[in-house]
Amino acid sequence: MTLEKKPAHSDATRRTVRRVLPPPVTGQEFVLIGVIAALWILLGIFTPAFLTPGSIQPLLVSVAPIALIGVGMTFIIITAGIDVSVGGAIMLCAVVTAKALVTTGVPLVGAIALSVALGLVLGLVNGTLIAYGRVHAIIITFGTANVFQFLALRVFGSSTVNGIPSTLEVFGRGEAGRTLGVPNSFALTVLAVAIAWWYLRHTAGGRHLFAIGGNAQAARLAGIKVQPRIVATYALTGALVGVAACFFIASGTSTLDQTIGSGRELAVIAAVVIGGTSILGGRGSVIGTLLGAILVATVTSGVTQIGWPSQLANLFVGVFIIIAVGTDLLRERARRKS
Amino acid sequence: MSQPVTEPQKQNRADEFRLEMRAIVKSYGGVRAIRNADLAIRPGSVHALVGENGAGKSTLIKIIAGAERADAGDVFFDGTPTNIASTTDAIKLGVQTVYQEPQLFPELSVAENVFVGRELKRGLRVDWSAQADQMHGLLGTVGLPEQVATAPVGTLSIAQQQQVSIAKALAGEASILILDEPSAILTDAEIDVLFTVIRRLTAKGVAVIYISHRIDELFRIADEVTVMRDGQTVSTQPIGDLSVRQIVELMVGGVLSEARPAGDVHRGSTVLQLDHLTRDGHFSDINLSVAAGEIVGLYGLIGSGAADIAEVVYGINRASSGRVLIEDQAVAVKTPAQAKKLGIHLLPANRSAQGAFSFQSIALNIVIGELQLLGRLRGWVSKKKEREIARDFITRLAVKTPSETQPISAMSGGNAQKVVLARQLVKRPTLLVLAEPTQGVDVGAKEEIHRIISGLADEGTAVLVVTSDLSEVLRISDRILVIRAGQVVAEFLPNATQVEILAAAAGEVDK
Repeated sequence: MTLEKKPAHSDATRRTVRRVLPPPVTGQEFVLIGVIAALWILLGIFTPAFLTPGSIQPLLVSVAPIALIGVGMTFIIITAGIDVSVGGAIMLCAVVTAKALVTTGVPLVGAIALSVALGLVLGLVNGTLIAYGRVHAIIITFGTANVFQFLALRVFGSSTVNGIPSTLEVFGRGEAGRTLGVPNSFALTVLAVAIAWWYLRHTAGGRHLFAIGGNAQAARLAGIKVQPRIVATYALTGALVGVAACFFIASGTSTLDQTIGSGRELAVIAAVVIGGTSILGGRGSVIGTLLGAILVATVTSGVTQIGWPSQLANLFVGVFIIIAVGTDLLRERARRKS
Repeated sequence: MSQPVTEPQKQNRADEFRLEMRAIVKSYGGVRAIRNADLAIRPGSVHALVGENGAGKSTLIKIIAGAERADAGDVFFDGTPTNIASTTDAIKLGVQTVYQEPQLFPELSVAENVFVGRELKRGLRVDWSAQADQMHGLLGTVGLPEQVATAPVGTLSIAQQQQVSIAKALAGEASILILDEPSAILTDAEIDVLFTVIRRLTAKGVAVIYISHRIDELFRIADEVTVMRDGQTVSTQPIGDLSVRQIVELMVGGVLSEARPAGDVHRGSTVLQLDHLTRDGHFSDINLSVAAGEIVGLYGLIGSGAADIAEVVYGINRASSGRVLIEDQAVAVKTPAQAKKLGIHLLPANRSAQGAFSFQSIALNIVIGELQLLGRLRGWVSKKKEREIARDFITRLAVKTPSETQPISAMSGGNAQKVVLARQLVKRPTLLVLAEPTQGVDVGAKEEIHRIISGLADEGTAVLVVTSDLSEVLRISDRILVIRAGQVVAEFLPNATQVEILAAAAGEVDK
């Protein structure tokens, strides 16, 4: 829009546009950036090896799958849902894909397509049961998590999957997994975060997710097709789990064991919540989720590198979660009162 | 549609309705919510829809808004037979509804709320500039300052949120605007703003359906009024042809006076006294007293503040100023636990949310408030005693159940209510506060609960009944206080008529 076309409104309009949306990067995200920067500097001082590519690159490789699934999880939590089945879904996608790599020698694209398609189906199952079954998401996904695990363990049989070829090394920890020093999996994750950020912020579809999480009944009355949108968020998360499963296979050894995916749902939810997305729905950001994942990985890696007992990482992550959720709830309570 | 509709033009259009509904029928399960409703709305006018709770108003507007489908009947839009199958259909026809509870998104800005579901787009993106342009006029129309456009809706007052709801309705090119109890939550000054907005809209040709319990205010805003009673539309007339009293008579169906229980009132000493009690925003300057053996009825329409008074007496909420005296002692009741220590018991209004422990047995539901009576040792609960007490109350209150071990969720509304009432009687209360004691209870059980309450008063308990059920307040009270807009506006003896009481509660000026 040019000044000539709308001289009467342009100034006020522009000022309004700028402030109709929350700022592109919120205060909480700047705090996270600050905390991460401070930690990196401190770690750099105490263990000089920390700020070297040899330490940062693996850190980013470990961030990638968590943050990538976190993008989908952020969408889900914004709609006031949750998905605790992603650990089981990672396990199932990873074991099926690994088996395919070993037995049929599928090429890179085939392996990714297989994993994503399987993840998508799992997500659709979750989403459909939640949106149309009208049972709370935590119950449904707790149930499907166990089903996915059962299926995965059946595929494993009684042994690990051995001798996985290096088809997926483009996402691995080695030289082949990096472009200009940046791990490809991390670069891909940052791209996904950027697209998701734009989608949530600037498209009607994205804004509708916030509306659904804020007041589902009002969203329905406003003509938003609530149920298909909810199914879509779980399907997206499933597809991203498929990609992340490839990252996990690539960043591991040539052997895949039954611990794959275990506990990852909590790591993903922790990243989302620490990133400032409200567990009550209606508010959240994928940039925050990426930062949350980086913060968790930094603490985990930092604690070991300093030589502290590794369980201290759990303590720190726990404290971060409580601070994040506590801030959110206090904010909500203050708003209710006013 | 934009030129103002003047009086003569309105007359010319008399046979031309924006919306006409004929012989509408709607049942939920076996219950007939609407037996037979006709409604005809003219463009550029305000049509009031009134009736007691449960008369069928809400169901009728839900049908217009597409949130419910009628079982039978015809709907015409500008003379054309129309089928409104969903909210989307209704929105396409220009039907916009502002519900009693604002249907907004607290985290999103005002501008986003207004456009949600019909975003203006440029390519894939939402066109924020175009939306901001349209916002300019809209906010002015509904009486909101420009700068709130960017504020998250959750930070606005309830009145402002309602204005946002109206702006949201108008952004969708409304041809019919339904306002469901818009004034219930507003102050007088805010109502003036609302009326200005409504007049601005009717001048543009919008048809407004206005639902309100405050009959007096209808005379300031409505052109016509339709009265509903027992699921039927009983009358449609120009409002100028009616008085408050006539409308109320149409609502309750004639000039009936209810029989009240015979017997003398053995009034003892004063048990409860409220002295200039005020809770800001809910009620102010309430003075009342309840004596031992007396049943005082507090009658008020929804939002009148009557229910809030009960909550302050029981310590759920705090008073801003004024005193509560129990047996002539000023007391500070800050929590329900303190209230119980003083012998004040409350039967809460919402049985399922505040009263019943659904999955627990009848016996536990009865004794849960007084577990300390059951133990020989501190903290030790005797199951045997629990069952004895429960059986005793099941007999005394004629609770229909095969056994005291049944879960309360398996019972009918009336029997469940008796169980929750029994809980208040395990230890005899000095003051029993009952909020909507027979809501959702069948007629037979209602009768029995009324008898139980009368019996308690005869034994010397002071009883305060808060109710929005007109026949109930007349049946069981020894004195009736009418609450309107947070104040006691009238006092009646039980020989008053329904019409007198409802007229006072709805705001007849000369009362």
